[in-house]
Amino acid sequence: MDKIDKMKKEREDIIKSYSKKRIDDTYIDKQVSNIFNIYHTIVVDIKEETSDVKTFTLESIKDSSTPHLVPFKAGQYITIYLNINDMLVTRAYSLSSAPSLANKDIYKITIKRVENGLVSNYMLDEIKVGDKIDISRPAGDFGYNPIIDEENVIAVAGGSGITPFMSLAYAILDGIYNCNLTVFYSVRKYEDIIFKKEIEEINKKKKNVKFIITLTREEKDGYLNGHISKEMIEPYIKEFNTVLMCGPKELYRSMNEILNEFNIPRKAVRYENFFVEYMPDNKKNYKLKVVIKDNVIETTCRNDETLLVAMEKAFIKVPTLCRVGECGFCRSILLDGKVKMIGASLKKAETENDYIHPCVSFPDSDVVLRLDI
Amino acid sequence: MNYDYIIVGAGIGGLSAGLNLAFNNKKVLILEKNSLPGGVVTTFKRGRFEFDVALYDLLNYGNDKHIGSLKRLFKKFDLQIDTLPINYNIRINSIDEKYDDVIKGEIDDWVLKLEELHSGSMAAFRGMLPILKEIHEGLKALKKGRTDIEKNFPNLIKYLDVSTVDALKDLGIPFDTINILGHCWVDIGSPLNKLNFIDFAEYMYKFIFKRPVALYEKNISLVLKLAKRYQELGGKIYYRACVKEINDVDNKKEIVLTDGTKYYTKEVICNLSERFAYKNLISTSNLNAYQKENARTLSMNGVVVYLGLNKSYQDLKLYNYRYYKFQTLNSKNNIKYMSNLNHHTWQAIVPNIVNNDASPKNTTILILKTLYTKDAWNEVNKFNYYEMKEKIANNLIEEFEETFGIDIKEYIEEMEIATPITFSKYVNSINGSLFGPMRLGYDNSINRLLSYDEEKMPSISFVGGASIFGNGVDNAFYSGYFVTEKLLEEERRDYNG
Repeated sequence: MDKIDKMKKEREDIIKSYSKKRIDDTYIDKQVSNIFNIYHTIVVDIKEETSDVKTFTLESIKDSSTPHLVPFKAGQYITIYLNINDMLVTRAYSLSSAPSLANKDIYKITIKRVENGLVSNYMLDEIKVGDKIDISRPAGDFGYNPIIDEENVIAVAGGSGITPFMSLAYAILDGIYNCNLTVFYSVRKYEDIIFKKEIEEINKKKKNVKFIITLTREEKDGYLNGHISKEMIEPYIKEFNTVLMCGPKELYRSMNEILNEFNIPRKAVRYENFFVEYMPDNKKNYKLKVVIKDNVIETTCRNDETLLVAMEKAFIKVPTLCRVGECGFCRSILLDGKVKMIGASLKKAETENDYIHPCVSFPDSDVVLRLDI
Repeated sequence: MNYDYIIVGAGIGGLSAGLNLAFNNKKVLILEKNSLPGGVVTTFKRGRFEFDVALYDLLNYGNDKHIGSLKRLFKKFDLQIDTLPINYNIRINSIDEKYDDVIKGEIDDWVLKLEELHSGSMAAFRGMLPILKEIHEGLKALKKGRTDIEKNFPNLIKYLDVSTVDALKDLGIPFDTINILGHCWVDIGSPLNKLNFIDFAEYMYKFIFKRPVALYEKNISLVLKLAKRYQELGGKIYYRACVKEINDVDNKKEIVLTDGTKYYTKEVICNLSERFAYKNLISTSNLNAYQKENARTLSMNGVVVYLGLNKSYQDLKLYNYRYYKFQTLNSKNNIKYMSNLNHHTWQAIVPNIVNNDASPKNTTILILKTLYTKDAWNEVNKFNYYEMKEKIANNLIEEFEETFGIDIKEYIEEMEIATPITFSKYVNSINGSLFGPMRLGYDNSINRLLSYDEEKMPSISFVGGASIFGNGVDNAFYSGYFVTEKLLEEERRDYNG
């Protein structure tokens, strides 16, 4: 056993020869590697884009625990955390600013008023320059992928779906991506055009980014008229194309029909998931029990609202990020009851183990949910 | 709330520790910061693909003929999983040696291959096999604290402090053969001149005698099974419970969560690297622990590119299960290149070769992985992070295409790139290290094992892939079992004495 003792002694001697200082060895740049769940920002500018759309410029708060913002990829979104009437609510918004602005710790989000929309109305009516807003890190994988995407990029935007493409346009103009981008932007009327001035300036440059605006409910000189059509797109289709879409579901449906005629393969077309829509036949109100560790919170949930919204109304701090069923942040276990899930991206084992994503789940009976927070 | 044991982290080590303690009727709580268990043994979805993050070859599980000790432990806890055999089929390519060959099939095929490479290898290789067995048996005896080691396992003692390269030379294996045999150093995380032969022999033993298997289900299914069984045995697990402090309060350990909740226990088991725990969680200063960590070298981190391809592997001509590409087959020299982001050593895996259901019909998953040592990341900052990440991924894809003459890029339907930042964010591995502290010289797992009792800190233990036995699901699982057995033994001793 001499050898074993010798090895133990050697090990002890080596360790003893080292410093007793506290360990600090995060050698990867801390501004890249320190990722927080929440960043503290302040509203430094609000720009009125149209009568019902505003762009909010958010800057990190220098004397907070998060003095810097992390970089993002054009097309990504952030989630904002708000406290409205003691209710903790969150919403995800695509970043509309140039990715290079993140280097100056600035993000921009552009918000359109939604009829009866709790958060959008609060943002447009209540938030002033100087207000503080907590946000998530940038997330999502929508956007241009320089490795696999083609050089000819067709973007299709409906209404406020223009926001990620504004960021993408700046990324291309800044030289981050080497591709040609044509954005087909469909709005109702001239007065609804978001980023009008910026779009004009970009079009004037005649570089590799071009916006083509079509008005669906108005005719006006210098603008196309009607929904985006095969004829509008045809001149911009090349041999190989990448198509990115952001807007309402009807837009995706009509675009898919058009794209089929151009034989664009499935992998070359990508959508941003924007809305969760579900209209039950009969409106009902169900009981909802939420088990959190060893406590139970009882509330109710309408069958036309998601379990997530019902939990937020009951003042439960549910972890959320995407709110469209993809990211899994709000993942919970369905202990009892039935739900209708719209477009949740569930892993096979999640389905087998009764996991649901409450952000896209509508109750179909009384429901008992387990949510560890 | 008071618990007999609190486990921080529901990775493989934490779940294994929890299973053994719950099995022994202890009051156990696992605290996990994510909403699912498993750590890196997990999956993520992109479009119609579900990608396994880390676990492809399960070692030491074996089959009905050759039962591995992991399978025995699973049986003890009444855990059943479906596995698939891996018919070995790897292609190795090295630039400096201009080597390119396919190693296929069973051990006998391997031996012939090695003999072809260097005549005389076959006899030396065959001579090594009983020694691998002896070392394995001796190690088992050592773990059980038996005292007959010197007498019954002379080869264990002989090679106890010998590096892999030196031992293999001593066993008469030619150097070029050593390098082919040892290509797996990129899966272990230590170059062969620093890796102890006992550590390597144990790896080879598992490889040769308990053939690796693949999981039929996805990674996340395995860990959900472990978590479920642990709960059936009476264990408690809280998800989204992120520990921010471990304090000493009244002869107890106080565990504080980020939301302020406090839990108390007599022993905390961390499924985290010691480095992370002492750096970020444990409030009472511990100079011995700091010294131990300062002496250590962190092993490599890496970039992993997950690709979902829209054609079958047959159509793509991806005929090998694993592909290895080296700058040089000499690990001691090769690891030096890894301090540069643009080096040419990487590997690839095609899970569809062993599992038809790895992805939807007529699609293939291809995973590319490369490793880096510390200095590689010096030039990466927040201004160029995405650019660097995409550049690395693009280089990997193009080098794969070029080296093996297989077109990939035009078939990519989904892709995700995981960097050291990704790993450090999800599993708190410092600098995204994939192997924890490097197993080298004085700090191979044999050394950690020999000094375990002396180095054990009061009321705190460490399990998982960054702990005593190193990375790999079998090692991580065994660490949880080994450490809790030690604790239970201590309990019994205290009770009796």
